[in-house]
Amino acid sequence: MATVVPTTIEIPQELHVLGIDDMPEQVTLWQDAWRRLRRNRLSVIGLVIIGTFVAVAVISFVWTPYPTWRQALGTTYQGPSLIHPFGLDDYGRDILSRVMGGAGIALTVGVGASLIASIIGIVLGLTAGFYRGKIDVVISLLINISYGVPDLLLALILVVLVGRGIQNIILAISITAWLGMARLVRGQTLSLREREFVEAARSIGTKNVQILARHILPNALGPIIVQATYLVPAAIIFEAFLSLLGMGVPPPSPSWGAMASEGYKAIQIAPHIVLFPCLALSLTVLAFNWVGDGLRDAIDPRMRK
Amino acid sequence: MSRGTLVYATQRLVLITFTALVVSSIVFIGVHQLPGSALASERRLNPATEAALLHHYNLDLPWPQQYVLWLNGLAHGNLGESLVNMGTPITPLLLRELKVSVTLGLAAVLVTIVVGMSLGVLAAIRQNTWVDYAASSAAVVGYSVPSFVWAFLLILLTVSGFYAWTQGQIYEDLGWGKIEQIPVPAFALGLPYAAIVARLTRASMLEVIRQDYVRTAWAKGLSARVVILRHALRNALIPVATILGPLITGIITGSVVIEFLFGIPGLGQEFVTSILSRDYNIVIGVFTFYAALVGVANLIVDLLYPILDPRIRYG
Repeated sequence: MATVVPTTIEIPQELHVLGIDDMPEQVTLWQDAWRRLRRNRLSVIGLVIIGTFVAVAVISFVWTPYPTWRQALGTTYQGPSLIHPFGLDDYGRDILSRVMGGAGIALTVGVGASLIASIIGIVLGLTAGFYRGKIDVVISLLINISYGVPDLLLALILVVLVGRGIQNIILAISITAWLGMARLVRGQTLSLREREFVEAARSIGTKNVQILARHILPNALGPIIVQATYLVPAAIIFEAFLSLLGMGVPPPSPSWGAMASEGYKAIQIAPHIVLFPCLALSLTVLAFNWVGDGLRDAIDPRMRK
Repeated sequence: MSRGTLVYATQRLVLITFTALVVSSIVFIGVHQLPGSALASERRLNPATEAALLHHYNLDLPWPQQYVLWLNGLAHGNLGESLVNMGTPITPLLLRELKVSVTLGLAAVLVTIVVGMSLGVLAAIRQNTWVDYAASSAAVVGYSVPSFVWAFLLILLTVSGFYAWTQGQIYEDLGWGKIEQIPVPAFALGLPYAAIVARLTRASMLEVIRQDYVRTAWAKGLSARVVILRHALRNALIPVATILGPLITGIITGSVVIEFLFGIPGLGQEFVTSILSRDYNIVIGVFTFYAALVGVANLIVDLLYPILDPRIRYG
């Protein structure tokens, strides 16, 4: 049998053996996620929109074309013009200035409520999932009962109870918004606590608090960030609901929801009054949802297309 | 309905009763810590009248005793009397309003399911074409536009738009009572959630239409309608059904705002006006109703699962 056994293997010019110089650049999980997020077109647009609104909010703290509360700047219900690009409202206030001021309120409420709700949810979720037993039963019962309570009604009662200041609004929203986060973190903790690295940490005598803070929380951080991002637009819409029902931040604060509520009375003769705050609100919510979707795809590789 | 399902439903009903009881008790106790009352309002009452009024509502008793009396009433289906409109019993009032809210809610759920599923199926069977992109982007946008903004748009379209277009022939007036007044608030309430349903339907349809049995169905020469609707959609429905629970809770909450905007005499509007006029008896009553409503709606959704997916069985 004549078999041809090549004595040397010819390596084509364009191929070469992988060496140390060819090792892929070391990237952390977060760098990788950031890279993927940047490649998501809608997320980038979302980030740009959010950045713009943040800039507008910061500017509005020091300067708006007119003071947001100044009334009778011209004929009331006046449509858009060169001097007042978004027109004037029912009190003759400049709508552009008020929409700018509203950005600050919306972002403060959205980010503030998302942060507080996340902290409540993370602490309760970690505790329930890690210690299990009676603590878990109590916390889970609390979560399940709270799911049966319409959040808007609860928030309305809380606002009546504690008053309408912006801190109180943030608090009322946070107290109704932590449920989803608590459920998510509890589930993550239940599965993470059985993993080998937690067992290893425990075997060398690591304290429970340290296991939670150093081992479990960092590994659950991805889904937590995604959930917290989605909480921001939810809180912004929630604040608008409260304002619409006359229970949001007190006037003359230029909350987008309150502007929509005032404009609604005159929607047929002066639709521009509701148009601009609603547009700003929807655009902000849309941007956060885009970024949330992008983050979800970037952080959780299983969700990637 | 199998025996297991019956046992399961009974257990859930007990749990719902328990939840409603706990929730309304918390609200009862919480509300009794609130500052002010409907009685201490504009008019300065003379002490004797005030004492008589307080006695009428048992408000002169310490709250634990009031609570026991209230529980006793609740067991007989009696939620007490309105604090603002003296002599108006709350239970029949809320039952009437419940009917309105449920009608609006069901109409909104119908909008959500029909619009959401059609968009989702369309996007899935035309994947990666302009139809898909249009439907998918409409879904994210639709979800980001809150219900009240939809309400404004629809009001501008129907009330002002049709009026101008038909030169005054068609005039949609907002309110409640006539059947043609249902669609506009129902669409406003249902559209944001339709967007979520569309997204989910698309994702689960895409998974299902690649499966072998669907290919077999095509190969047998079945018509597209039968393959998509009877074979694919039926299985694609299962993951979609999982969000029906939170969705219905969301629609119930959203209806508070929509009822307020459209002047619909439902539970949500009652809640807002009562809390503003500090009619705490009604506030507690509405809470009890809502807790029960959310529980029952979720139970109905859970009972739908075994119908959609015979592999799921209770008991």
